[in-house]
Amino acid sequence: MRFLDLLSMSISNLKRRKMRTFLTVLGVIIGTASVVIMVSLGIGLNDLMMEQYSSYGDMTMITVYTNGYYGGGQDVDESKFLTDDTMKQMAAIDHVTGVSPMLRADVVMKQGAYYCSSSITGVSREYLEKIPLGQGELAAADDDELKFYYGNKVIVRFSNEKTGAGYYDNEELPPVDFMGKPMFVIFDTNAYWQTRWNSADTTVKPPKKYMIKTGGMVEGEFTDYNNYSYGIYCDVELLKQQLKMIFKKKPIPRQPTNSKGKPYSYFVYDQIMVFVDDMENVTTVQQQLSDMGYQTNSQMEWIEQAQQTYGMVQLVLGGIGAISLFVAAIGIANTMMMSIYERTKEIGVIKVLGCDMRNIRNMFLLESGFIGFMGGVVGLGISYGVGYAMNHFLSLGQMMMGVAGDISRIPFWLAGGAIIFAILVGMLAGFFPSLRAMHLSPLAAIRNE
Amino acid sequence: MIDRKHPIIQVKNLYKIYRVGETRVHALDGVDFTIYKGEFCAIVGPSGSGKSTLLNMLAGLEKPTKGQIVIDNIHIENMTENQLVEFRRKRVGFIFQSYNLLQTMNAVENVALPLSFRGVPKKKRNEIAARYLKMVGLEKQMKHMANAMSGGQQQRVGIARALAVNPKIIFADEPTGNLDSKTTLEILRLMRRIVQEQNQTLVMVTHDNNLASYADRQFHIVDGKIVRIVEKKEADEENAAPGDGADEPAVGGTLDLAADIDEENLKAEGVKE
Repeated sequence: MRFLDLLSMSISNLKRRKMRTFLTVLGVIIGTASVVIMVSLGIGLNDLMMEQYSSYGDMTMITVYTNGYYGGGQDVDESKFLTDDTMKQMAAIDHVTGVSPMLRADVVMKQGAYYCSSSITGVSREYLEKIPLGQGELAAADDDELKFYYGNKVIVRFSNEKTGAGYYDNEELPPVDFMGKPMFVIFDTNAYWQTRWNSADTTVKPPKKYMIKTGGMVEGEFTDYNNYSYGIYCDVELLKQQLKMIFKKKPIPRQPTNSKGKPYSYFVYDQIMVFVDDMENVTTVQQQLSDMGYQTNSQMEWIEQAQQTYGMVQLVLGGIGAISLFVAAIGIANTMMMSIYERTKEIGVIKVLGCDMRNIRNMFLLESGFIGFMGGVVGLGISYGVGYAMNHFLSLGQMMMGVAGDISRIPFWLAGGAIIFAILVGMLAGFFPSLRAMHLSPLAAIRNE
Repeated sequence: MIDRKHPIIQVKNLYKIYRVGETRVHALDGVDFTIYKGEFCAIVGPSGSGKSTLLNMLAGLEKPTKGQIVIDNIHIENMTENQLVEFRRKRVGFIFQSYNLLQTMNAVENVALPLSFRGVPKKKRNEIAARYLKMVGLEKQMKHMANAMSGGQQQRVGIARALAVNPKIIFADEPTGNLDSKTTLEILRLMRRIVQEQNQTLVMVTHDNNLASYADRQFHIVDGKIVRIVEKKEADEENAAPGDGADEPAVGGTLDLAADIDEENLKAEGVKE
């Protein structure tokens, strides 16, 4: 029997009982729609989470730090210092594309009546290149003038030197202009605080102020947050030169000293940032770094945890949807059984007339598969509609994750998979009824009721 | 045209035993006969005589307990269900008592249905169906749905459907059982005419001796045994009754006469065995 003849027979049988077919299809529609919507929510939540994390900063970056040497003198383990040598070792690890030191120095910055006590971070040029600048631009590689790159939230930390009033007191942004006006920076903060609070003590000379140019500003308003928002960055080599020039032979603040209280001949970094080629390799590299005896930290730890959580959420949501599809499958099986009981005689007749048994089975499989197909297509359409409503009218993404973005996402594989799955469910539900139809006795045709 | 050299159905020592609780019911109790190509045979018997069981087994709808059935030189008694379906599709036409047309289809589609089981394309099978519908006199009802036709018309569609596949044998199970006496005669004459024109073999089951007298040969069956085989010639010669079948004798008279004759015959010959 030709496939088209089979198909048209199946469809005409479905047409014969329109109401029953409609109700059965309705079950599949609801089942498919709930599976697709639930899975699309799971995908949306997961994607939103990833977008959120990646907005916080580079996900392929590992922070390496080591435990306290700030006490100075006692219990200093020089072998664990983060130095240029350790950096070279780390750069040699597989999948590492680059490393950057983090050299912190405390500073006080002044502009007009406003000041800010903060720390600046000297980083490699590679790191500077990763900072998304909103204003200004990165200095050329051979530029040997120290320039600062300010985070977009740094401004809120400025306050009036006399009144002490800042943004958090009066909710007014201080009139500090990073790009337009010069910024005066004090590196010898000890001297600054001593002269400020003990003005009677004249043994301490007021520290020298240096005018440092602003290279650029991290993108975003002062209300936006990203990984660089609170930082002040500069080139690490230029910072080293500057510190050496200011402190000369004296110990540099924050740098460790040996047991005799003397500074080391090299700089010790607070942290080292390690860049990895791909997110998948972050965990491996991180493991190697901690095996070397360092403390490490990366976004991947959080993401992996969160992904596990969302994986569970997705499973639960999908499970809820699958239950309704399962109920729909029972509906299909029931409809097919009913239909076979009703058509016992007819099946007998076509069997007497020589219709192949496989054709009879296929006819019923096609019928139930077609129910699944119709339910799948309409259910998918409804899923798109509901997803659109959730994304555009309810903005659930904003409500649940605090991030703008679509919460319901139906990728192509989900759409295609849903229809194929609905057809399979239909055929599976119709399988045993169709076997039953196949084995019905042709004698039913002879009986006269 | 009966071709005595070409047996188309050979039945040898056929038994069908049903188990009803503890007792065994012999629906068929050792049946032997041969039917030749081009014959119109009737299997006659009262209800419960086993005539329907016999027909079912000839058509491959039921399996015998014992014995042989050879149709068109093929043994069918040991075939699987699948093989039997294939056998029916290729060699058998079937006419039902209650017509059994598919209600969702019109006349042409119903006649074309068995052809579709053979994989004949739609256009071709509809042409064939139209030709056979014309032959049974339904050229005006081709597009009528099954339930929009009278019993006689439906049975004509049923006959066309059985013929459409050009089978080796046509089985008819009480083909006129649901029809009034006037239509019964029309249908019988139609079958008779077509069997002759197409040189088909027709096996008809009936409980009515009068209808059986239209056949070339009658197999009288009682309690699972063939008690008597009546050839038409002798029936004609002895009783000069139903004329030459296709003609138009006085309808009522013929039927009455035939009934009387059959009863007399039964009495006269008694139980053959």
